[in-house]
Amino acid sequence: MWQKLKNGIDLRIGLNELVDSKLREYRVPGDTNIFYTIGIVTVVAYMIQALTGYFLLMYYVPHADNAFQSIQEIMTVIPYGWFIRMTHIVAANLMVALVFIHLLSIFFMGSYKKPREMTWIAGGILLLITLAFCLSGYLLPWSQRSYWATTIITNIPTAFPVIGDFAATILRGGDSISAATLTRFFSLHVGFLPPLFLSVVGLHIFLVWRIGLSVPPYSSSAKEEKPWTGYAKVTYSKNYPFYPNFVLKEVSMILLFFTVTFFIMSFMPTIFLPETATTPADPLKTPPNIKPEWYFLAPYQMLKMIPNKFIGISIQLIAIVVFLFWPFIDKSDERNIVKRPIVLITFLLLTVLWVVLTFWGRYS
Amino acid sequence: MERRSVLGLIGSALGLTAFGSFAYPLIRYLAPPRASVRTGRLTLSKTDIGDAKEIVYQQTPTIVINRPGKGYVAISRVCTHLGCLLEYDRENKSLICPCHAGVFDLEGRVVSGPPPKPLLRFPLSVEGEEITIG
Repeated sequence: MWQKLKNGIDLRIGLNELVDSKLREYRVPGDTNIFYTIGIVTVVAYMIQALTGYFLLMYYVPHADNAFQSIQEIMTVIPYGWFIRMTHIVAANLMVALVFIHLLSIFFMGSYKKPREMTWIAGGILLLITLAFCLSGYLLPWSQRSYWATTIITNIPTAFPVIGDFAATILRGGDSISAATLTRFFSLHVGFLPPLFLSVVGLHIFLVWRIGLSVPPYSSSAKEEKPWTGYAKVTYSKNYPFYPNFVLKEVSMILLFFTVTFFIMSFMPTIFLPETATTPADPLKTPPNIKPEWYFLAPYQMLKMIPNKFIGISIQLIAIVVFLFWPFIDKSDERNIVKRPIVLITFLLLTVLWVVLTFWGRYS
Repeated sequence: MERRSVLGLIGSALGLTAFGSFAYPLIRYLAPPRASVRTGRLTLSKTDIGDAKEIVYQQTPTIVINRPGKGYVAISRVCTHLGCLLEYDRENKSLICPCHAGVFDLEGRVVSGPPPKPLLRFPLSVEGEEITIG
């Protein structure tokens, strides 16, 4: 029966030829490591977000009077509503972590260098879209944390003269956070960002497929990539087929991702839900010690330390621009970061600084 | 100038006009009309020395404090850094931001932390047992 169905599909669309030419004959470097699979795990995390988000939409009410109550009902009344929402929350946080790990590993392995500059930029944009998803998403429960975290974020543009106030008004849909902000962020979260994310992911995957995977800088086949005088798909002396070899590696990492997700949901269910996330929004009371999500703690602590708002926010914006266009700044041919002590030390110092600021922000 | 370049320029101008005719209404649509702020007055009863009363005046969360030896003051509770609401610290005679640790004195001046400017103060008068703001 199954064979008959398979033959029927093959007869019509040439399935076997498609699998052979696009998956089996697509070769990946023989010395890839687990960091090469983080990209696909991130895509799976996004698919989980889309699926659980869709189910949450069935009960969530995007109105300031009902949003908090509808979330409470999802958590306590709707059968398995807690499961859907907790998966959404935990997978969202893990997705941010995955994007960070993916970018750090690409940076560490020098895989952003020519001819993969556009792939890096698309990846950087995907990080920004992921953070926009998080920002727009955590207003939706209309809790104290939602309300005040969004108040802070939407006040950031006011640091800039002339257009700052206008930009903040557009972001909020008024002078302060209100029902208009909620519907605005809701439409951004479910209507605008998903197609944008999918388009950029599509471009990112196309570029990876078109150019070919990069090899680790310590690999013996790394030199085969040079010199770049015109477009040529990368081939490797030591390689294996994408399917089934590499796909199996990806599947095992996806299973690990699910394991971590369910472990957190089972044993640390409140790790991403502090008290302020379960208290209804009160526009007349900022809760004491309000903290942003872990991935915003470093910029939060920086804003706290730098006395001038304009300078503090400008430094962060410049850092984002430098990060996005890094492949055009670092044009050295050497991909092995170990052989580039200045870049290595700067990279390590910045990572340590980010970690220190994160912990400082968390416990200050 | 070649005919092709002229046509290119005209095409670009038309394209820009078309883009503008969509972009302008979109920006106007996204920026809602400003809510009309009532400029009326608000009357409160007096409080004890050192006590404070939280109110909303002209859509702004405001605190009215009876300062020891200095009388009443009505100050906005919205932190001038990133918009969090300040808490009154009676012991230290200050207003503290719970978000980024900005500190203001009871005149609304920045004492420490990242706030860039002083707090908004509202005019206030005391007559008999009543405080009138505005």
